[in-house]
Amino acid sequence: MKRQRGFSLIEVLAALLVLALVITTTMAMFVERQKRMQTANETILAYQAIANEIEVRRRIPYSDLESASPTFVTLSGDTDILAPLKPYAATVTVAPPQNYIKTVTLSVRWRGGQRVERVMITRVDTGGGGLW
Amino acid sequence: MVRRERGFTMLEIVVVLAIFGAFLWIVVVLTADMRAWQKRMPVNFMTHPQISAVVSRLRRDVQDAVRPYYRDSYSTYTMSDKTLIIYTLQAAGTAETVVWDFSTDGEVSRHAFTDVAGQTSVWTARGTPTFKITDFPIADHPDSVRIQAFDKDGKLAIDQIYQPRAH
Repeated sequence: MKRQRGFSLIEVLAALLVLALVITTTMAMFVERQKRMQTANETILAYQAIANEIEVRRRIPYSDLESASPTFVTLSGDTDILAPLKPYAATVTVAPPQNYIKTVTLSVRWRGGQRVERVMITRVDTGGGGLW
Repeated sequence: MVRRERGFTMLEIVVVLAIFGAFLWIVVVLTADMRAWQKRMPVNFMTHPQISAVVSRLRRDVQDAVRPYYRDSYSTYTMSDKTLIIYTLQAAGTAETVVWDFSTDGEVSRHAFTDVAGQTSVWTARGTPTFKITDFPIADHPDSVRIQAFDKDGKLAIDQIYQPRAH
């Protein structure tokens, strides 16, 4: 008759396997949640930069849109809202005018181009002079 | 021959611990990237909704501003890089002077007045980063204001430019 005291190696390994599965699943959930929160926060930063740039681009005279800076003029050195997204690319492009309308596209790319946030604004030729 | 087992051999324990250790190491490696990335970020907007509330109420107040838009002083407040005094027109057609007070670190309060003696509402948000107000001149529109906020480590968390809207 075989008398057992305590667990066999197989039993302990099986128990550890179950424990490992539980921990892995929990960790995976946690990591996924963090990743999404991270992405959301990054998007908030990107949109702050884009919104600021829009305020400036809305004020640039219609005829000067193409000659304006192709990067964000509202970003400044040490106080750069996009610093946590580095390396990033913030660009402004102006499409050729159609029916007196120019489309200005402001975009921020980060994570090696994996993430892109883009906002387009339309400017109308009012024949000179600001709208206000 | 009867083999009697009591407990595990040293080898067994070592093998089991090695497997578990390897597993833990994998978990740490997988999350390291995430932790490093998170360190670079300022305030977490997802877990601090009051910060987003401050930003959106402030934007609304500046957009609702009517000439002269800002005031040098009002009641006991004076305009500074920590105090923004906005003259607004409410949807109901009533004028309201709104004072945004950023003078206490980690706290933001909004005071609304219909006249100097009558404060109509106070709203305070706690656990916020440290705010600072600067001018941001935009061509043909010098009434823009730039609101910036820094977290405990001095990282820029909020940077927004507002302009009064055309009425």
